[in-house]
Amino acid sequence: MISVFILFLKIFAGMPLLALVVLLALLFEGADRIVNAKMQRRYGPPLLQPVYDILKLMGKENIVPRRASRFFFMTAPWLTLVTTLMIFLYIPTGSFPPVLGTEGDMVLIVYLLAMSGLLMAVGGFASGNPLASIGAGREITLMMSYEFPLAIVVCTMAWVAHRLGLPGEPFSLEPFAAVSVWKAVGKTGVMGLICLFLSLVLVVPGELGKGPMDIPEAKTEILDGLIIEYSGVNLALFKLTFALRSFAMATFMTALFVPVSLGSLLGVSGFIVAIFDFIFFWAKVLVVQMIFVTLMRTMFGRLKIWQASQFYIMKVAGLSIAGMILLSIDVIAR
Amino acid sequence: MITRIVPQLLKQLFSRVATNPFPAVHMPPSLTEVMNNPDAPLSPPVPVGKRFRGRLSYDRSKCIGCRLCIKVCPANATEYLPGEKKIVIHNDRCCFCAQCTEICPVKCLKMGSEYMISSYERRANVVTDTGPAPETRQA
Amino acid sequence: MSTTYTIPVGPVHVGLKEPITAWLELEGERIVNARVRPGAIHRGIEFMARERNPIQVIYLSERICGICSFSHVICFIRAVEDLAQMNVPVRGQYIRSLVLELERVHSHLLWSGVACYTIGFDSAFHLGMQMRERVMDVLELLSGNRVNYGVATFGGVRWDVTPELEKALRGMVRYYRQEFTPFREIVMEDPVAQARMRNVGVLTRDEAVRYSAVGPTARASGLRIDLRKSSPYEAYADFDVEPVVPQDYFGEAHGDVLDRFAVRVLEVYQSLDIIEKILDGLPEGPFVEEANLNKVMASLKKADGTGWGIIEAPRGDDTHIVSLKGGVDNVLWWKVRAPTYANAVSWPIMFRGNELADAPLIINSIDPCISCMERMLVTDEREYRSEVVTRSELVKRSRQKTFELGSLKSKYVPGGGAEQ
Repeated sequence: MISVFILFLKIFAGMPLLALVVLLALLFEGADRIVNAKMQRRYGPPLLQPVYDILKLMGKENIVPRRASRFFFMTAPWLTLVTTLMIFLYIPTGSFPPVLGTEGDMVLIVYLLAMSGLLMAVGGFASGNPLASIGAGREITLMMSYEFPLAIVVCTMAWVAHRLGLPGEPFSLEPFAAVSVWKAVGKTGVMGLICLFLSLVLVVPGELGKGPMDIPEAKTEILDGLIIEYSGVNLALFKLTFALRSFAMATFMTALFVPVSLGSLLGVSGFIVAIFDFIFFWAKVLVVQMIFVTLMRTMFGRLKIWQASQFYIMKVAGLSIAGMILLSIDVIAR
Repeated sequence: MITRIVPQLLKQLFSRVATNPFPAVHMPPSLTEVMNNPDAPLSPPVPVGKRFRGRLSYDRSKCIGCRLCIKVCPANATEYLPGEKKIVIHNDRCCFCAQCTEICPVKCLKMGSEYMISSYERRANVVTDTGPAPETRQA
Repeated sequence: MSTTYTIPVGPVHVGLKEPITAWLELEGERIVNARVRPGAIHRGIEFMARERNPIQVIYLSERICGICSFSHVICFIRAVEDLAQMNVPVRGQYIRSLVLELERVHSHLLWSGVACYTIGFDSAFHLGMQMRERVMDVLELLSGNRVNYGVATFGGVRWDVTPELEKALRGMVRYYRQEFTPFREIVMEDPVAQARMRNVGVLTRDEAVRYSAVGPTARASGLRIDLRKSSPYEAYADFDVEPVVPQDYFGEAHGDVLDRFAVRVLEVYQSLDIIEKILDGLPEGPFVEEANLNKVMASLKKADGTGWGIIEAPRGDDTHIVSLKGGVDNVLWWKVRAPTYANAVSWPIMFRGNELADAPLIINSIDPCISCMERMLVTDEREYRSEVVTRSELVKRSRQKTFELGSLKSKYVPGGGAEQ
């Protein structure tokens, strides 16, 4: 009974964090669009454009197509948003531990990411539009392809943290925030880590449906596929989810692979430093998102679904397995 | 991974924006007000070339009513007034080919450089007389 | 699992620039059958021409298409010059060729940009469009307008190339020599772009012959056809234009979208060479045969007969046939056969075995100009129906109409060109 109470307390405490996350996700989305535009020598929208978009769509009517399955069509956006938001309760921010650090771990994050993608596909299938069905089918295919390398990355990292005896629970993200995993392993291990990092970088566009993997939403092929029938509040929720997913992936990558913190750099600690660390963490996320989401989506065209699937199953999975083997050798040999 | 476009993109990230700015950064509350206000802070339009063919001007006093312009106008933008032996130009129909200015024997038609000619009122685009062309007025 | 479902691409689609519908029968992502239905943008331009005299029709023909406007104008003017036996001074011919080549540059640049946009490669699209601005600026400097230039007239051109303009043109050629190669490398060496364009929408050499593809579409399939070489018009005889075919550059012609891309990109280089040659060899003299439009109009009123004009537009060969009747001001009849009309036949062949994701790219790959193509639509307003007529029925009706038009009964020889 008491544990349930504590859980509720924690979720309540997480509310300000979630509000901050939503705001930051939209701001980063605006920054992403500006940088994308500048790279193409355009002016781009104002920084707050995603916020304006969401506010505008929130005031608009939901239109449900006649052929849609109403229940799933209306609930999918909400469930997607909630699942995506929950991810942030399990990611440590700067020196602060994750809000629900003891209730879930990295596997749950991967699960939540997959869940929100799946719910998006459910919304697409429920639209009753053939183009949305194609988009949803592509989303599922893509998910089946990138989940394997993603799972390898996550499991390997957790196992390494456990074997190296990093402080914190196994499979939790906390150890990676406290100790730099790059310093904890030897030379072979660093090579393995690079392989894993690259695999994660390549999984990101698939996870987000951006860059070379914007196949489920392909604008010039299936006219925004998944979300073709959505309008008004539902569309706003989907837009918010897309922004949050980009942000979540950038945060996840930062927490896992970019553990530099101000406190450890300067060798000091304390509450003020923790606050600065908190801000520094979001700055890191911004940099990671600009490089691995924005640049990535600007520099590539769109692949076809079978090409993307092949790419993940053959190449990225191979890369992640290579990373796993290299890391294992390093950890076992010591 | 790193393709040929990456250096180009990074170069472009720090180079000048290539597109022309909109007249105003934000949509003003009233567009008509801004358009009619000459002091409104608008981004200047791109200057036009020397041979640009814009709004027609018509020197009514010079016109001899030969109707050649009506004969060559592809868009039927010129209308003949039989009583006065003059013409009326409907600039909203004009396709800016400058064929009438070429054929006019007394050169009373002239293409200007004005191009923002759309108006809420149709009559604003009907040219009956704009007086002598600026060059002749100076001389 | 062999259930198929049908998906329309178009008439209004993000990936298409003009309204055309392709009904695709899909099995999963795979196209098993495709039906192309044009008919959304027919404007009856030829009919409008029958209420106008040839000088007015110049500007009407300019508006058949926004991209290859000058090609249609030159084609129409050449047809009329053919029947009225008009001469064009050499300088006029050179300037016409110059504008035709400038138009080819901007058309091909636009197409390369749009092709990149269709595969989601937005950065290359923006780069291409940004590059196209330079040639548009030069065209604006030359003619005053960016799209409908109004440069050509019967017996020559309306505006001369001044020394100032020549400087701008040379600057433009230099700019493209320097800046265009990075663009070509960015797209053609990009792994994603290669994956999307290689072996997509294949039209083999034999099929290109059988379905009479023209222009860059045919050249990408390895056919050495180019009207600038085989029947030179205007000043092209002086420049020795060689058809650009992929086998000369890459060893073999695949006939896929990447080859079409390559052909168009390489033709831009060729056009730059031609522009330079034109500027070097621009002869002195008048640029128009008869500057007095009244005299031109009078001679056109007297003209009688049928004339042909065939030129190599950026998209392929463009044919205009014009008939004038002596003593009548207006055009008697006028027939336009735009290159897209010939190329569109190949669409179902190109769709074969490809995927839904490729469909917009394949439609775009022949650089379709639907407004150019749609010259006929059978509708019956009284009964609110539209119909597709069979070939024999169409031939029958056309013959009947031709006879109704009279006066041509004895003179017109099918395929004979200008008689008398």
